Amino acid sequence: MRLLGHDMHSLSGAYALDALEGGAERDRFTRHLNRCQSCAGEIRGFREVATAMAFAAAARTRQLPPEVRTHARPRRTRAWVPWVPWLSGAIATASIVVAVLFGFAQAHTQQELNQVRAENQAIALVLSAPQVRLLTHSTSKGGVATVVLAADRHQLVVTTNGLPALPAGKVYQLWLIGKTKIVSAGLLPASTSGQTPPVLASGVVKGDTLGLTVEPAPGSAQPTTKPILALPLPL
Amino acid sequence: MNPSDSDAFRFKSATTDRRGERDLDDLLVHVARGDQEAFEAVYDRLVGPAYGVIRRVLRDPSQSEEVTQEVLLEVWRTAARFDPAMGGAATWVMTIAHRRAIDRVRSTTAAADREHKTAEFRTPHDEVAEAVEASLDRERVRRCLDGLTEVQRESITLAYYGGYSYRQVSDLLKVTLGAIKTRIRDGLIRMRDCLGVS
Repeated sequence: MRLLGHDMHSLSGAYALDALEGGAERDRFTRHLNRCQSCAGEIRGFREVATAMAFAAAARTRQLPPEVRTHARPRRTRAWVPWVPWLSGAIATASIVVAVLFGFAQAHTQQELNQVRAENQAIALVLSAPQVRLLTHSTSKGGVATVVLAADRHQLVVTTNGLPALPAGKVYQLWLIGKTKIVSAGLLPASTSGQTPPVLASGVVKGDTLGLTVEPAPGSAQPTTKPILALPLPL
Repeated sequence: MNPSDSDAFRFKSATTDRRGERDLDDLLVHVARGDQEAFEAVYDRLVGPAYGVIRRVLRDPSQSEEVTQEVLLEVWRTAARFDPAMGGAATWVMTIAHRRAIDRVRSTTAAADREHKTAEFRTPHDEVAEAVEASLDRERVRRCLDGLTEVQRESITLAYYGGYSYRQVSDLLKVTLGAIKTRIRDGLIRMRDCLGVS
C-alpha cells in the first residue's frame, strides 16, 4: 500500500468529503478500501470532521417530519378528510381548510405531496387540540390575519386574507414578540387569490405577541420595520 | 435573538456531546424497528444540520428542503443498515445528507440552477439571518479551520460546503490535482486532531 497504493490512499480525504467524481475513480478507490486496513478508521475520522462542519452550518427550516406512517403503509391520499367536517362550522377556520386543500392541489410530486401532508398533519393537530382560541385581526395595511392558537401545544396556525401584494424583494414575516426577545415565526408563503397558505409556529409562550412585518427577502433575523399587526396571544 | 432557546430548533452536537451522540445511536436503533416517536426525535435533532449542509451545497432553499425530506425518509427506511460500530448516528445521517446533495448538484439541471444562486448565496445577510444555533460547533470548526493553511482550508470548504469535486477544486485554486488531494487529506487530519475526533 505504501508504494503502489500511496497515490490511491491520498484520495481518502476527497472520498470522505464526496469529492471524487463518480465512475472509475470512485470504483478504484472503493476497491482500495477493501484492501486497506487503515483506511476505514481514517475515513470514519474524516466523516466525523465533516459532521462537525455540518453542525456548524446548521440552519433553521420550517419543515416538519415526513409522514413516515404513510410511507410505511400507503394510505388514501385524502388523509385530511376526518377533520374537515369538524371545522366546517367556523367560517374563519374554513379558510384555512381551503388553503390546505390548495396546498394539495399545488403538490405535483410525491415528495411535495408528502411534505404538504406532513404539514397538514401538524396543522390538523393544532386545529384539533382540546383548547383552541380563534383570533382574527386586521392589519394596518388592510387584510385580515386569522390565528388558531393551541395554548397547551404552544403552537399556532396563521393564515391571512387580503393582504396587499408586495413588490419584488419584499416578504411578509411573522414574529413571536416576547418580553425579552423577538423570534422569527417564519415567512408568509405567497398568496393565491389573496389568501396565504397556513403557517405553523411553535414555541409560543405566555406573554408573546404575534407580529407581522414587511422585510427584505429572504427575511430578517430581527424585524426591521414597524409591525403591521401586533396581536397579543392569550396564553 | 438566540434561536437555540426555542425547543423546536434544538439539537445535540455530534462531536461535543458524547452522551447525546449515544442517545442518538439508540434512537436510530429504535427507528429501525419502526418507532415513529424515535424518528421524530432523530428528526428534531438532525434536520437543522442536514438542511444546513444541503443548503450550503445546493444554495436553493426549496430544493434543499426537498432533498432534506428525501434524506430523512431514507433514514427512516434504511435505519436498519445503521451500524454503530462504523460511526455515530449523526455521522451516518450527515454522510447520507451530503451525498444526496452532491448527487443532486452533479445532475446537470441542478448545477445550472445553482449558478444563478451564487450571488444570493454570497450575501452575508442570508448566512447571518438563517444560520442557527450551534454557535459552539461553529466556533470550534472556525477555530480549527483557521489553523489550516490557506490551500487546505479552501480545498476542504470548497469540497464540503461548495460541493465541488477535487478536480474542480484544483481548477478553481489553480493547484495541481496531486497537491489538492494531499491538502484535503492533510487538512482533514489536522481538523480531526483539532476537533478531538478519536
